[in-house]
Amino acid sequence: MPSNELGRKLKYAAGKYLPFLKIAPPVTDRKLVMNLRPLHNNQLTWEKGANGDVVLIVPANKNVGPVTRAIAKWAQAPSQRKVELDEVGSFVWELCDGTNTVESIVQQTGRHYHMNRREAEVSVTLFLEMLHDRHFIAFFKKTRKAG
Amino acid sequence: MTDESMLAQSLPRPHKKRTLLNELPPLPMTVIGWQGIRCVLPPEWNLTSFSMEREAGYIRADAPGDAAVTVQIRWQDAAETDRKVGTLYDVFAPKVRKLLGRPAPQQKPPDLRRLLNKVLKDAGKSAKKAGTSFESSTRPEKVEGDELERTAIPFSWVGGGRGQGKIWHCTKCNRVVVAQVIGIARDGGQVQSVAAGLFATLRDHSDDSLDLWALYDLQVKIPETFKLHQQQVMSGHLRLVFIRGGEMIVIDRWGLASMTLKKFKLEEWLATNVTVRLKSMDASVLTLQSGHEAHYYTGRLNLMDRFKVFRSARGLARPLAVRFEGGVWLCEDQNRIYSVQALTSRKTTGLWKMVADSVICCQ
Repeated sequence: MPSNELGRKLKYAAGKYLPFLKIAPPVTDRKLVMNLRPLHNNQLTWEKGANGDVVLIVPANKNVGPVTRAIAKWAQAPSQRKVELDEVGSFVWELCDGTNTVESIVQQTGRHYHMNRREAEVSVTLFLEMLHDRHFIAFFKKTRKAG
Repeated sequence: MTDESMLAQSLPRPHKKRTLLNELPPLPMTVIGWQGIRCVLPPEWNLTSFSMEREAGYIRADAPGDAAVTVQIRWQDAAETDRKVGTLYDVFAPKVRKLLGRPAPQQKPPDLRRLLNKVLKDAGKSAKKAGTSFESSTRPEKVEGDELERTAIPFSWVGGGRGQGKIWHCTKCNRVVVAQVIGIARDGGQVQSVAAGLFATLRDHSDDSLDLWALYDLQVKIPETFKLHQQQVMSGHLRLVFIRGGEMIVIDRWGLASMTLKKFKLEEWLATNVTVRLKSMDASVLTLQSGHEAHYYTGRLNLMDRFKVFRSARGLARPLAVRFEGGVWLCEDQNRIYSVQALTSRKTTGLWKMVADSVICCQ
């Protein structure tokens, strides 16, 4: 875990148990999140398996220290790993092409799998969060050009 | 450029997306049913918060997306509203009365004005915290309901937000219910329209001794003698467990059935999620009132299963469950799997069929 992330977590934990410090994580604007557009990380490639499910091919992290690199070389660690998504995951992954907003992905997933709106929203946002935490996708906000 | 073409340019162009949306079938209204309270709300509203108790509790339903409109319903047994301090008499008198088979003494109707003032005082406190002024208005008390069983006082307030509600006492179920629609101050029109729909459909008791339990597209009727024992509301899986003494009803609803059925057969899925062992049960296929074909299992509970049920019914509960009836079916329209299990005593018959037939999975 990077030190700044650990520091942030400790700060918020302190804020939680010592409320007079008035330290709280920033409140997420739901509307803003729903209008973000997820986009695949171009460092990884993906293909469709025999059953139609998406398989992500994730290259090994090269930004590691010399000790880790030496151990990886000694242990003959693979240069890439494969992550197989399930059917719904594959459906959502294919929609993460930068053209669809989170809101649109939620709607399409809900409609395709006959999910309740709230169920679809919870599932899709959690899945996107997980992909983002693993650096498989990034979010961007479409802004209008000036002039 | 001719006048007609200029006129055509000045007219708003038809919006393609809107035309597409108009072609989609209208979304169904949301039915909410919880602890005997039932109401109909606009499409895509969902139950977001609830309590487990029947005697006194609350539910909250929220509008979808960014709309800040919510519906809050609180209820309480009318006898509880005037109780100040619990004395030994209060604790033992109902039990002695029940033992002797004597009726409870007639109680005076609850003071609705006092209860309403408390509700408005709470709303006023929130407004004060938000640093806004608070205004409330109440209308005169009126008698309403199909059988004039309700004494109600409508009210509204404007403070940090806006609320429109009603407090009433129902002589049939002896409950005091406070229902209100709350929104932000500028949502006046929406609050009003939701409130109108809510108060037209809100019921606090059933007429057929069957409680409607409705949430997240599941609707099922359970005899009101059964109490909610456990609930699991997860994305993709919903489970409600009801008990009456040692008897038990378990309702399950799984989403994404197409994915599940790629790996399991319906019977296998039931066998992995059922509370008892199905190996020794008689299996058959039954057609439900909804037209779905259910894989149905019935039989006597073995000693181990009886012990399990006995343990989950918290000890010496009577009547003890000795029979199992269970079934599972697929609703292809909704892409969902439904299962109903009934663990019943010798005397109870036809419970599974009644509950399974009452499940509304597809409109």
